[in-house]
Amino acid sequence: MEKIIVCIKGVPKPETVKVDPERHILIRESAELILNPPDKAALEMAMRLKDRHGVKVTVLSMGPPNVLPILKEAFGLGADELILLSDRAFAGADTLATSRVIAQAIRTLAPYSLVLMGLKSIDGETAQVPPETASLLNLPSVINVLNIIYREGKFLVIRETNYGEEELEIEPPLVVSMSPKLDYFRPPSLKRLLMAKNLDYRTLGAVDLSLPEEILGLRGSPTKVAGVFEKVLVQRGELWKGEPEELAERFLELLRVRGFLKI
Amino acid sequence: MSETILAYGEFFEDKISPASLEILTPLWEISRSLQKKLLLLILSDDLKRVKEDNSLKRALCDEILVIEHQELKEFRDDLYSRVLSFVAREFHPYGFFFPATLQGLALAPRIAAELGVGLCAHVNALELEGERLIMMRPTFGDNIIAKLYSETYPIMATLALGAFSTKEGSENPIIKKFNLPQDFDWSSKMKVRAKRKTKKEINRLSVAKVVVAGGLGLKSKENFLKLFELAKYLEGEVGATRPVCYAGWTEEDRMIGISGVSVKPKLYLGFGISGAIQHTVGMENSEFIIAINTDEGAPLVKMAHVAIIADAEKILNYILKKLKS
Repeated sequence: MEKIIVCIKGVPKPETVKVDPERHILIRESAELILNPPDKAALEMAMRLKDRHGVKVTVLSMGPPNVLPILKEAFGLGADELILLSDRAFAGADTLATSRVIAQAIRTLAPYSLVLMGLKSIDGETAQVPPETASLLNLPSVINVLNIIYREGKFLVIRETNYGEEELEIEPPLVVSMSPKLDYFRPPSLKRLLMAKNLDYRTLGAVDLSLPEEILGLRGSPTKVAGVFEKVLVQRGELWKGEPEELAERFLELLRVRGFLKI
Repeated sequence: MSETILAYGEFFEDKISPASLEILTPLWEISRSLQKKLLLLILSDDLKRVKEDNSLKRALCDEILVIEHQELKEFRDDLYSRVLSFVAREFHPYGFFFPATLQGLALAPRIAAELGVGLCAHVNALELEGERLIMMRPTFGDNIIAKLYSETYPIMATLALGAFSTKEGSENPIIKKFNLPQDFDWSSKMKVRAKRKTKKEINRLSVAKVVVAGGLGLKSKENFLKLFELAKYLEGEVGATRPVCYAGWTEEDRMIGISGVSVKPKLYLGFGISGAIQHTVGMENSEFIIAINTDEGAPLVKMAHVAIIADAEKILNYILKKLKS
């Protein structure tokens, strides 16, 4: 098997997010970045395949330089090589403009057998980047995957669908987005985390990837925000206040009167 | 630009997915305003079975276009997206829309990248502003909706599950077979080796008459799990907010909201849910809403028909105690 590439994302820690009240975009500088939780499954899957097949794992992330600690976290889990995709020209990218950068970076890393990502990021929640990247690379993609087994030069991939589970056999290379539902996530090794402190990593920008600026970032994004509006809510129903026990009694009575409770 | 709007009709085991019929409702209105034909596109290995599906008889569209080939028996992402991209290039449609099912989420991005066009995710309302199609979805901030548009054609989006109600058309749509060229590449790098049907009934939450939902205001997983006891008494289903799912209190298929399930029950109970718009877009059409929350200013409290201003944990414990005694 050739190397595995894992793409991870730094997302704002939910409680620390501040929103620009005028423009309604995240003030990313204000937030503490964490590893996108669904990406943990991608890293864990890569490490399980590494354990079994001794394959090299390259982890890349696109974002401002403050995602570096998240890449180092991946090194702590067992990644062999770290790549930061960072350039002012990447800022404000929608999923297509993002996928163009990731796909191009993956091209420079050939040969590889597998590209792993999380199902979706918890900030954008589109789930679009893995299949878009696969499509740009002209590779098959599978989303919402529960397990991957490598056997006789092929991958067996278990995916969860809206109807059940499917077992697929696919020739490498391919792109997979992992379901967050894994049974176990290994902790990072302390020794490796210490090693990560002085670790070398590569940074690639638009010029390194030979990508023209007009297809990148906000400018290269075909989807645009026309505006935002606030949904104003006015109190429409009754407000009940008082002792919890009394309120609970009234609550049950209401459920009975409306026919929802038979006892 | 062509005179058509395409909608993806997910056809699995001889049945059209209800989510594909839902998205026809807003697309029909848009297609009438723009005087364009609305086509429902189905990929199948057997045209006969498409014709036999009764739920397609009154589908709200002008035509049902079926691409029939033995290789389309199983859903294979690379082949399906190649077929759909080809159709999109033939028709040059004004728009190409998908339900936000797992198939839709797997296909739409592949096609958008192939065509080099924009794609909006989990759109829950469509509106024409002059010539421009505005796609709406909740965004960061309290009760904030973003209005998005695409600069490229076809305009592409996945539409949030349950955001629209299925409506029947007044006439039966024409079912037509669409033939691909003789030399079309039907190959795939994927092979489906086995399938296991889920033991759980699909989307029970989305059709539940009673939904008992919980948020972080319940303070612990242990408290959240008590909702299942209450749901039993009310013959309902348990739903959750996004933070609850991410905290691991319950599985993500119980998530109500923009990237989860939309519900329209007769009764919705919200325990310790403040009502972030990412959640409320998935339950705002509930017939009767009861919110239990300490915060009088919470959006869900304002939306509720009855708001109980109290600690959700305490109220839940009291009612379970009374129900058991």
